[in-house]
Amino acid sequence: MEIKTDSNDGTLILVKQGAEARVFESTFVGRRSIVKERFSKKYRHPLLDSKLTLKRLNAEARCMTKARRLGVATPVLYAVDPILYTLTFEYVEGSSVKDILLEIGSNGGDSKRLSDIAMQIGVAIGKLHDGGLIHGDLTTSNMLIRSGTNELVLIDFGLSFTSTIPEDKAVDLYVLERALLSLHSSCGNLMELILASYRKTSKQWSSTSNKLAQVRQRGRKRTMVG
Amino acid sequence: MKVFQINDSTLTLALFTDVTNSKELLDSMQAGTLEPEVAFLNASLIPDVFPVLAAAHKTLVSKSRGSLTTRTLHSELVYNYSGSKHITESLRRCGISDSSSYVLAACFNTSPDEVKAIEKLVHGKEINLEELGERADQAQIQKHFKITGPELTLSSVGDAITCRIAARDAL
Repeated sequence: MEIKTDSNDGTLILVKQGAEARVFESTFVGRRSIVKERFSKKYRHPLLDSKLTLKRLNAEARCMTKARRLGVATPVLYAVDPILYTLTFEYVEGSSVKDILLEIGSNGGDSKRLSDIAMQIGVAIGKLHDGGLIHGDLTTSNMLIRSGTNELVLIDFGLSFTSTIPEDKAVDLYVLERALLSLHSSCGNLMELILASYRKTSKQWSSTSNKLAQVRQRGRKRTMVG
Repeated sequence: MKVFQINDSTLTLALFTDVTNSKELLDSMQAGTLEPEVAFLNASLIPDVFPVLAAAHKTLVSKSRGSLTTRTLHSELVYNYSGSKHITESLRRCGISDSSSYVLAACFNTSPDEVKAIEKLVHGKEINLEELGERADQAQIQKHFKITGPELTLSSVGDAITCRIAARDAL
């Protein structure tokens, strides 16, 4: 009989703090993990606050697992705590696509790596959209490349929702396009590569593509005149 | 037999094959006379210990809050492992039946005496926990947890089960 002890369990180290949640590093029954805690907003009515927080917590857990079922890599979900408003999931070893692209952008070179990443991004978004899942916050900092396997892992499903409307898919792509434009213009036309592989993956490409053209003309928000 | 630390508690796991007295075990468990209290899981649905630990973690959290869904701590473990909200169905599929011969025994916070009692309780051959992987029934697991092809291309069965255990109450 052997005893596996793990004194690290339960200690939290703050990694990042955002507007909606704090992200900690911790250990979950022996595995390195990330804990995402949605904190309460003191300016909201307590009842409304707890309802909204819980709803978003559950939605995030649902969307993360749905993405996995569609064949898009996301961190493995370990636990959901509806009292403390925390999600615990796998710690993904690797760096964000943002850091990799910035590195390539400043030092140049390695166009093969660039096109591999763009290809994976296109395939992942195509699978999500065909399954009726909109990520809602597609930026390069919400994409990780797992070290070792070079597999793309999508994170932060806090703004995700399910929808099959071309409009929502087009806006999702448009948000990514703007993010790439503002941060990674030195990497060449990445969006073209991403859309090329998205087109191959998604069966609903033509309607999304038409909508995307419209969204580009008017921006993310719909005009609400009349 | 192996002991795992989960927060402030421990979980003892022991894997048995060729169990001959599962009917007796089931009867005494249903009568509530099992001493010490143990959870018996259908081991063919378990490809790895990690999902069991995740279910145990969840069980301990609800125990500490006094919000167990089932009657005892150990039945809660079986219910949590199933990843479904249907208690009867969970206990039937993920627990043991009259005819089970391949069983994982799980017990929280066991004393050395209780460990001996468990070994005496189950009439079968104890094997190493590492054998879970090859002995698991992939087809049955995929059917029970509704795991589809695309998901298996990106992660192990154990991880897929863990996700379902964790996300059950969020669905």
